[in-house]
Amino acid sequence: MITFSNVNKWFGKLHVLRDINLDVKAGEVVVVCGPSGSGKSTLIRCINRLEGIQQGDLVVDGVKVHDRKVNLTEVRAEIGFVFQQFNLYPHMTALGNVTLAPIRVRKLKRDEAEKLGREILERVGLGDRADSYPEQLSGGQQQRVAIARCLCMRPKIMLFDEPTSALDPEMINEVLDVMRNLATEGMTMIVVTHEMGFAREVAQRVVFMDDGQIIEVALPDEFFTNPKSDRSKLFLSKILSH
Amino acid sequence: MGTRMWGFYLKELIHTVPFFLKGLWMTAAVSGFSLIAGTAVGFAWGIIRAGKNKILRSILGAWVDLIRGTPFLVQIFIVFFILPEVGIQLDAFSAAVIALGNSAACFICEIVAGGILAVPFGQREAATASGLTSYQQFRYIILPQALRIILPPLVGQYVLTIKDSSVVSAIGVVDVTRVGWFTVQRIPEGILVFGLVGILYFVICYPLIRLSNTLENRMAVVTTRL
Repeated sequence: MITFSNVNKWFGKLHVLRDINLDVKAGEVVVVCGPSGSGKSTLIRCINRLEGIQQGDLVVDGVKVHDRKVNLTEVRAEIGFVFQQFNLYPHMTALGNVTLAPIRVRKLKRDEAEKLGREILERVGLGDRADSYPEQLSGGQQQRVAIARCLCMRPKIMLFDEPTSALDPEMINEVLDVMRNLATEGMTMIVVTHEMGFAREVAQRVVFMDDGQIIEVALPDEFFTNPKSDRSKLFLSKILSH
Repeated sequence: MGTRMWGFYLKELIHTVPFFLKGLWMTAAVSGFSLIAGTAVGFAWGIIRAGKNKILRSILGAWVDLIRGTPFLVQIFIVFFILPEVGIQLDAFSAAVIALGNSAACFICEIVAGGILAVPFGQREAATASGLTSYQQFRYIILPQALRIILPPLVGQYVLTIKDSSVVSAIGVVDVTRVGWFTVQRIPEGILVFGLVGILYFVICYPLIRLSNTLENRMAVVTTRL
């Protein structure tokens, strides 16, 4: 579904992605972890071309997304992206947020889009908040609206960039629950997160990155009980000690 | 000078009221045309100023700085007295509207560009990621949020432009200020005559000042919302 082949990326002189090779299958849930600045976010931001790459190939659902002739709008419509800071549209209600792209990109009629929107807000447990503005919602609720906003596009892939890092601890689980459900339904997901409990329970594979490189790809149990590289051992000791 | 003279002048002044109303009409016409043109051009420039094209951006930036950094009186003299020397003849009214409209456009350009750039980048990213085109992002995400930031200072700029319009009297446009100059020659009581001139400007500007304040307060609510 998503294949990185020898992908390299630089920000100016900074080599942020080094020879990335990774293959994510349809229906697979992959958790990406690693210290901050290791290139995790950049890695997933290349998939829907929020960032460009300088070398290598990146094929998503049979399309070389970094090809010049690619129809980016079509590619992006199939890929949901959830941001750390939610990035909900503050001037629109929850329903307005989730129906905008279905109406403008998928060309659904407004009433069809609203029916779909309410249905999906219901699915993330916010059926009664459809008419609330983002400011009237808690962080956890906002992030669930942001997930619903992606799901309304019926995407083939969902990417999560530290979706719980900006949340108060008591709100993390409501968001993770929604993500767990998605995983059970067979959504292809790549999740950048420090939630190791989630990784252990939901992920099929864990990718560990450091310094722009993929250091280790392993099954979750293997990764947590018996990490192979020194860097992953160090990282795990830091992250699991608190 | 006794109150008797004041009474006399006041009476005289009342006779000139129709003349003042004509001047007021001219002030409104010059300001109105300038603001309509200035708003349209200013928005277009502001969008370019906040855009990606570096060359257009810096050309506009230089023009805006030049206009903002020179007195309006000088600008209107250039349009009215110097352009004819290169073959562009303009009547006083057109020269006034071009100079004032251009000046308003430059200030509005900066207000609009500032408003657009104040919308958090994450908004554009979220819209990009969901597959909206650049135009759709601007139309549905950026512009509505930018407008809330733009409106209060925009109305404030309208007040400044209306007051600046008094300078067009210098090239012979018979606006309220010019009527004041004429009248004070017959009624040598500056405080009476220019008091009236001031009041007439205030009558136009005050509602706009109130509107700007109201918008500002509403904006404060919206900011906490962001």
